[in-house]
Amino acid sequence: MAPGTPALPLEIRDLTVRYGETTAVRDLSFAIRPGEIYGLLGSNGAGKSTTMKSVVGLLRPQGGSIRVFGTDPAVDGVATKRLLGYVPESPLLFDALTPWEFLEFVASVRGLDASAASERAQRFATAFQIPAEMHRPIALLSMGTRQKVLFVAALLHRPRLLVLDEPLHSLDPRSVRIARDLLVHHVADGAGAVLLSTHTMEVAERLCHRVGILDRGTLCGEGTIAELRGSSSATLEEAFLRLTREEEGVQAAVLSLQEG
Amino acid sequence: MSGAWREAYRLQRTAFPELAYHAIYSVRMGNVAPSIPEAELVRRSERRVLQSKLLVSALLGLLALGSLAILSPTAKGFIAPDLAGPLYVETVIVGLLVLELALLWWTGLQVLPTFLSSAIVPTLEVLPIPSKTLERASFLLFLRLFDLPAGTALVMTPIAVGAALGSVAAGIAIVPGTVATVVFGLGLSLVTGKFFLRHVQGASGGSSRSTAVRWAYLVLWTVPAFAMYGYVALGPRFIAWLTAVASGGPSGAVDALLATFPFPLASLPSLVASGGVAAPDAGTLPLGIVLVGSAAYGVVALLVGIWLLAAPRTLARTISEGGPPGALPGRLRTRSAPMSIVVKDLRISSRTPGFAFLVLLPLLDAIAIGVWTVLASPVPSDAFNVAVAAVATAALLATFFGPAFFAIEVMGYSYTRTLPLSEGSLLLGKVTLIAAIYGIAAGTVLAIALAKLFDPLDFVGFILAELPAVAAAALLELGILMRVARRRGLPITNLYSGSWWAIAVSVPGLLVAGLPLALFALARGRSDLSAIGLMGGVALVELALATGLAFLGSPSGAR
Repeated sequence: MAPGTPALPLEIRDLTVRYGETTAVRDLSFAIRPGEIYGLLGSNGAGKSTTMKSVVGLLRPQGGSIRVFGTDPAVDGVATKRLLGYVPESPLLFDALTPWEFLEFVASVRGLDASAASERAQRFATAFQIPAEMHRPIALLSMGTRQKVLFVAALLHRPRLLVLDEPLHSLDPRSVRIARDLLVHHVADGAGAVLLSTHTMEVAERLCHRVGILDRGTLCGEGTIAELRGSSSATLEEAFLRLTREEEGVQAAVLSLQEG
Repeated sequence: MSGAWREAYRLQRTAFPELAYHAIYSVRMGNVAPSIPEAELVRRSERRVLQSKLLVSALLGLLALGSLAILSPTAKGFIAPDLAGPLYVETVIVGLLVLELALLWWTGLQVLPTFLSSAIVPTLEVLPIPSKTLERASFLLFLRLFDLPAGTALVMTPIAVGAALGSVAAGIAIVPGTVATVVFGLGLSLVTGKFFLRHVQGASGGSSRSTAVRWAYLVLWTVPAFAMYGYVALGPRFIAWLTAVASGGPSGAVDALLATFPFPLASLPSLVASGGVAAPDAGTLPLGIVLVGSAAYGVVALLVGIWLLAAPRTLARTISEGGPPGALPGRLRTRSAPMSIVVKDLRISSRTPGFAFLVLLPLLDAIAIGVWTVLASPVPSDAFNVAVAAVATAALLATFFGPAFFAIEVMGYSYTRTLPLSEGSLLLGKVTLIAAIYGIAAGTVLAIALAKLFDPLDFVGFILAELPAVAAAALLELGILMRVARRRGLPITNLYSGSWWAIAVSVPGLLVAGLPLALFALARGRSDLSAIGLMGGVALVELALATGLAFLGSPSGAR
């Protein structure tokens, strides 16, 4: 990177992550530009969540590098995490806290101003229609409500990079719409960026500026939706199956089910 | 056995390994199970549940044997020479039954949260099982958590009483009392368990009333654990009081006492052994009270027993109090990162009995020994010694349980590790909490002991001198845990899936906390003041060394 060039929101080079003998991500490289929503698509076990967990510091990669706005999480984890907002795939939180107590904890650890954080939290809670849930223990909340609480926590500090692992799958249609608009708004000024994983092609098509397709831990395709579709009139789903070489497998599976 | 019972028995046999697994590893609470084959995990969890039950059963067996010894004429001559024989026997049996009740209740309070969090009953609810069978299977699953302890009480109590009174009939006569005690113990567990679900685990946040109710319940939860201490500490005083009251002839106090559970049922063996005259010197109504009281408590126990058959299934459906509908949240209160750790841990503890126990045990221990200071110390110098012992115990307990506060991070740990929280802040938060527990416990002893200590300055000096040692011990323990986690590339909390780590790091911690106390004991021969100065100096050196060790090589990165 040339001196004076602003650092990219996320730059991953030759990332390798292993679980014991199994390599979950192998030599993965991609970057996210400012103002971009980048979608990671892939089958179950393709390495999407592993990549995201490495970015937010939950996993320690065995090789390669990660830079978030130029900072290295392996060298200065705290500084990197200040820039990030994260919504995990499984909303396992402190079940014995209420969402409001949880948000107080998050706001405190992030060193936020109490009035500004309160104002933002109240605004998000009202938008997601969860003010009445704010004082109930998290253990008693539905999966969707937990997901909304995580959204509020991730957005509380105006993060520069949002890392969202399947963020919409438990939300009701109204909240999906709000969350989508929030993400678009988040990158609208060209400063923030979003890394988003999803199984839903419609979400990727509607939201993502660019998409990376992961297959068994490696990037097998990358580009805008139009670039991935190619010149044919293929849908993103068809392009996905072609790139991951799963078209024939899908047809065989459907046939065997029909015969059964 | 009817068809429904047979099917229920078969069901619980299949479901119990799942219950044992969740009881030990709390996976549904966000805990991380050890990385060993699942079949071994299940075998290990069943083994550990059995070990826990054997432990409680052994304690109950020892209590029965202890009572047998206390019922001997030699022991009576030593403990209560002036109390009438039958009344002494009844009082000792009452003590045994009350201890059994407390121990079963306490066991229930311990295991009920895991019974519920295992979600075993809701899992069975969705299967095509007849309602009656499901109800009975839930009851049997609940009962299996108590089977060995309850069985031990039911067998050992009649044996001990029969042997002590030299009469098989007397032994049989205590069976109704023992059955009622077991039934009430299980019933109390369920009632308090329901309260726990509604108002503690499921309590809404944001109100001081709700917080007070939660902590009040958790104190109640801890109290049965002190039943043994109360028995030993207050038993002789109770017998002395009873001797004085009974020697005054018939009185309302004795009649009221004899009507209280489990006195009537505990009187049955004496009644049988003495041929129908109970405690002749205790009042004019004992026989009537004993018979009517026994019948009444028997009926109540029967009703509770019937209720118990259905209660475990309905327990899983208990709805928490939740928050008021449509209530808008107030204002977020932010704190420094270490203080936010302290507040978070206290809030989690206020809804989680296991963690509340860690906070409350040093405090309640300090209060119990503090009260003993006032009750039992005739002179201020004795009071000083007892108070010093109370503070030393609080320091060692806080140190011993300190590492367990890391286990709180198990819950939601993956999310917390994505926050910009440095190791230093986490360490400082946990150490502050441990030091605060010690400080409050020591302050409580001081407040109680002031009644006997005319010059409390030495005692205040002792408390302050030990404080750096407690902080040093906590820093050392938690610092070791963090260092190992960093080297192995594991999340800190995963270490807790091997519980021996918690015990291993407590050893150096206890040595650090104990060294100034030992030096004080050795040096106080000259003067208390110089001994306190010595322990304070050593404690400060320990704190400096532990701080260096804990933060040496600590990266600026988060965990």
